[in-house]
Amino acid sequence: MRSMTKWRIPLSKPRLIALSVIGVALAILPLVVESPYILHLAIMALIYAALGMTFSMLFSTGLISLGCAAFYAVGAYTSALLVMKLGLSFWLALPLATMITGVIALGIGSVIVRYPGAPFVLVTLVLAVVTQQTAGQVELFGGWGGIMDIPSPSIGALQFTGKIPYYYLLLFLFGMIVLVFQALYSSRIGRAWKSIQLSDPLAKAVGINAYRYRVSAFTIASSAAGLMGSFYAHYFQTITPDITGGWVSIYIQLYAVLGGIGFYILGPALGASIMVFVPEFLRLVEEFEPVVTGILLIVLIVFFPGGILGTLQKRPRFRLANLSDRIRKIRRWISTGAL
Amino acid sequence: MALLEISGLSKHFGGLVAIHELNLDVFDGEILGLIGPNGSGKTTLFNLVTGFHKPTSGRVKFKGEDVTGLRPDQLARRGIVRTFQALTLFRQSTVFDNVFNAFHMHYKQPGWKAFLHTPSVSREEDTFKQRAMEILDVTGLTAQKDKLAGSLSSGYCKLLAIAISLATNPKLLLLDEPVTTLSPDKVEMVMEVVTRVRSAGTTVVTIEHNMKAIMDYCDRIVVLAHGRKIAEGLPREIAKNERVVEAYLGSMD
Repeated sequence: MRSMTKWRIPLSKPRLIALSVIGVALAILPLVVESPYILHLAIMALIYAALGMTFSMLFSTGLISLGCAAFYAVGAYTSALLVMKLGLSFWLALPLATMITGVIALGIGSVIVRYPGAPFVLVTLVLAVVTQQTAGQVELFGGWGGIMDIPSPSIGALQFTGKIPYYYLLLFLFGMIVLVFQALYSSRIGRAWKSIQLSDPLAKAVGINAYRYRVSAFTIASSAAGLMGSFYAHYFQTITPDITGGWVSIYIQLYAVLGGIGFYILGPALGASIMVFVPEFLRLVEEFEPVVTGILLIVLIVFFPGGILGTLQKRPRFRLANLSDRIRKIRRWISTGAL
Repeated sequence: MALLEISGLSKHFGGLVAIHELNLDVFDGEILGLIGPNGSGKTTLFNLVTGFHKPTSGRVKFKGEDVTGLRPDQLARRGIVRTFQALTLFRQSTVFDNVFNAFHMHYKQPGWKAFLHTPSVSREEDTFKQRAMEILDVTGLTAQKDKLAGSLSSGYCKLLAIAISLATNPKLLLLDEPVTTLSPDKVEMVMEVVTRVRSAGTTVVTIEHNMKAIMDYCDRIVVLAHGRKIAEGLPREIAKNERVVEAYLGSMD
């Protein structure tokens, strides 16, 4: 007998509308903005947003990984080498590099996921640092100068030139990542991850194989990072060991934490957008950046552990009521000549 | 053949002997009380039987199958489920989600279908949502279903722990101090649920310090002291057992 159950979209109506609006805005961005520099920022923001989401996916299982940057580099270098040494087309190298990154992540993850908590954080940090060192010391990877002149993709006779074709390709890849991640989070897989995050022993006691779910998260997240790496290599056309390492991993964590650690998709998107665009508008001096970043991270974790979205969620009246009160106070001060 | 057969079970933590050569049978359909002074090894025994610790030596057989040393989730899937003493719950989830998530191992639809959110998966989820509501009803938690587990009073927390374990549809349910610190009316409510659970076919082993609850509701009692079984029998026999009294009084020194 035919069942009457329909296919359900795991998103509420308001969320779906918000997502569509954002999607359309992103789609028409290159038509509205002419500056290639802003487009470049948008591309980097999308890449970092995706990387932040890989951090969040691991966080959703209770693991804090400082190794996201490592798999980003693995994807980038693998893709570059596949094209330049093996002569593969970009369109083959992209999925292949992603899969290779995934296999490596599966191997590493299977081992390190057995040691959650502080050891895991440390090991992933070491992973990021080692990846950077390997990229820099090994000749095959071009040493500290990296790999240059990575060819741009082409569709038939049409070569990718300028930012726009890259932007739309990335938008498509980014969209895929968001769709896959959201589908996972709203399924019993995501629920298992959440159970493991909230209480590892209880999750096991109700029959959830915590190890297997954590390895899955690690593999999926790292593959996404590898995908972004592969794209970046052919977009920027130069990759150096600078694209990875301990610092980059910490930045990736910052994107997720700034946006809101409980928001696995919107959080990193918001955090990455702010971190990529705001410094440019403020023209912060480059030397101070790590210091500012460090202070920002500490302030966030201590005072606003929920990040922007988390803080807004907890105190919905925070912005509106207090803001009008404060404006009134300031007006009074001005009128009494106190200022 | 007993449902659970423990033979020669020992657990050493370095030099400390937590459990020593324990032999214990749990019979199908009974409510077995496990008592003893603090530190006698009751929770360690639970940890050993449910895979949270590996035994130093000895065997655990469940339904005739050797399950010694299996992982907690493997044992849960075989029907051995436990609650925790320290109010272990999914604190940042709602009461309903706590129970709903506990159906995890019962899903028949494969993972890739879950990822795609096929109608068959939605149907399965609906079934479990309904069963979650039924369990909430049986344990008296329906009014709390949308509250965060972390915000519940300890009485409701204990009920939720039992509700979660019920979702797993256990054959053998190990309750770790289900009514400790509860008021008498809550104690009665919880033990009523336990009795109903037994009638539905689940065997129960419960660690408790609340002597009245143990005496009223348990079919048999096993007494541990210093990791050894010092007495076993019907409640009224245990109450009169001198060694048991001595073990409790002795531990108050």
